[in-house]
Amino acid sequence: MATIRSHARVHRTAEDVWKIVGDPTRIVEWFPGVTEATVEGNNRTLMLKAGLPVHEEIVTLDHRMRRFQYRITGPLPIKYHLGTMDVIEDGEPGCLLMYSTEISPDPMAFVLDGVISEGIGNLARMLNDHTEEQR
Amino acid sequence: MGRKILFITTDQMRYDAIGANGGRVARTPNIDSFAADGISYDRAQPQNVVCMPSRSTMVTGQNVGTHGVWMNGVPLPVDSPSVAAVLRDAGYRTALIGKSHFEPLLDPFLRFEENQQGFIGATEGHRGFDHMELATHGAAGFTHYSRWIRQNHPEAIGMFFQVLDGDLEVSDVPGGDSGAPQIKHNAVPRDWYHTDWVADRTISWLDGLNSDDDWFCWMSFPDPHHPWDPPESELHRVDWRELDLPVGYPQNQAEREAIIDAKPRHWRLWYDGKLVSNYEAPGKWVPATLTADQILEVNAMAHIENELIDEAIGRVLAAIEAKGWSDDLDIVFTTDHGEFQGDFGFLFKGPYHVDSLMRIPLIWRPAPSAGGGADATARVSKPVGLLDLAPTFCAIAGVQPPEWMEGRPLPIDDADATARGFERVTTEWDSRQPDGTEIHLRTIMRDNFVCTTYQPGTVHDGTEGELYDLVLDPLQQINLWDDPERRSLRDELLIDLAANFVEPIEFRHAEAPV
Repeated sequence: MATIRSHARVHRTAEDVWKIVGDPTRIVEWFPGVTEATVEGNNRTLMLKAGLPVHEEIVTLDHRMRRFQYRITGPLPIKYHLGTMDVIEDGEPGCLLMYSTEISPDPMAFVLDGVISEGIGNLARMLNDHTEEQR
Repeated sequence: MGRKILFITTDQMRYDAIGANGGRVARTPNIDSFAADGISYDRAQPQNVVCMPSRSTMVTGQNVGTHGVWMNGVPLPVDSPSVAAVLRDAGYRTALIGKSHFEPLLDPFLRFEENQQGFIGATEGHRGFDHMELATHGAAGFTHYSRWIRQNHPEAIGMFFQVLDGDLEVSDVPGGDSGAPQIKHNAVPRDWYHTDWVADRTISWLDGLNSDDDWFCWMSFPDPHHPWDPPESELHRVDWRELDLPVGYPQNQAEREAIIDAKPRHWRLWYDGKLVSNYEAPGKWVPATLTADQILEVNAMAHIENELIDEAIGRVLAAIEAKGWSDDLDIVFTTDHGEFQGDFGFLFKGPYHVDSLMRIPLIWRPAPSAGGGADATARVSKPVGLLDLAPTFCAIAGVQPPEWMEGRPLPIDDADATARGFERVTTEWDSRQPDGTEIHLRTIMRDNFVCTTYQPGTVHDGTEGELYDLVLDPLQQINLWDDPERRSLRDELLIDLAANFVEPIEFRHAEAPV
């Protein structure tokens, strides 16, 4: 099991950021390679630029805590996955955007780490030109 | 009209794979022929012994620490300098056909330019190549070759060895007659196989050029890199049962393990299956289980693949001859790194800086019209590196090598090498695996010694190393690192290494395992 984490400070209110993160269909606006996102009940299906679908289960969509959790259920060769996005008001200006992933098998961590970091960067830039992107 | 440049690379080929370097099994008459008319480098080394860092050195002419591709999975930035751009700016038509691997191959989100082009079949290229048609081994990934297979011969997709297993690890599924890992008898017809496809596409690109064009074509074969699954129609070429075991394979188990135990600890850890230090070697495979028959069959498969490469080269050279370009043609032939192929009881590659992986074939046949032919025939014993290729291409084209290139045009003989100070070559390894394993090697080769120091990581504490006398111990079986009588020599080499090694400025994130 590998654990990866990306974060960015966004100079916008947590409420503003959550409008995007808390809407599972808006992932197409910021996540690389995703051309389409459809949600039916607790299931989200992404269509990748390569023509591959990614099936996901929405585990948590907590508007009060501003937490979104999902699992990839197929068809990528993943044995366990839990992705968590938190939008946190931490007393500093703006808010903190945190994206954590637990994944097995380990080699997928390389792939997701890169694409998630790029996605977080895209999202932060989209929301604010002045971000401190880190991972 | 100037000189044309055919840059031929293979992937993971040993120095001794070709007849011109003493190989006695694979028949490589085409390579041997231009080697006989050119310059053979007997001590050429890559600057890293895995694909992406090594290929990035070829295209940039830079050390690994400068271009920053420090392990597989770290992409070469799209705006990195490129010798192809230099040549294009000088009026050359430029192409890369075959394996590039400047960017990760495992790319399900299609983030990388080369995969995007392969996916849609675009050929306009980038990095200074105005034409790219890419391939890797078999039908995997988003290359032009895999697209061609999917569209024209979808039944062939499953014929190749499936490189990744269900855990997304490099597969150790046994095959062939001996049960060796990464061997498969492949039903794919020869003319669908990637080696012939690379030659076909190269010929097609050349056919589209004007007769007075100057051109630089990097023809990059994905073989003989594992998996070893050449078309089964070709297996008759080499019967593994008739081969001799490699001289680098101590057949006595106790002797073999004693040699390994005298090397830094990760050698034995990998041998016993307790350490995975390179994603491309099957993580579940235990080298200690490797049998003599398996070594022989792997070698036979590699020899067969090398014969197919040689024949493909022959077809391309015939096409060039038919176009009337042969007299103006420079040929440079090399590979990105070597392969154990049974040496010390190992297969594949990793953080092991011995000749199996570090000593590679390199041949330059200068254009006869430029004073080549018999006058250029030489064997160069002085050390050179793949970072010397890009400035060599510039020199051939009559272009001053840009300052960002860190190599120098290859010497034409040992006297030239001595006069221009070709005294040493360095090779490095850095890796960080998902489980946190870190290994860092820094190696210098000079004066017929190879000296490797291990920086602190998760396996080594910074005190370990290797020192080999290539004259007395060409198989590198006797580690002199702790020999008191060699201490001053070791210290001198380490001082020279420190003075000439380019340390990475930063370790950019790996974006994929490969």
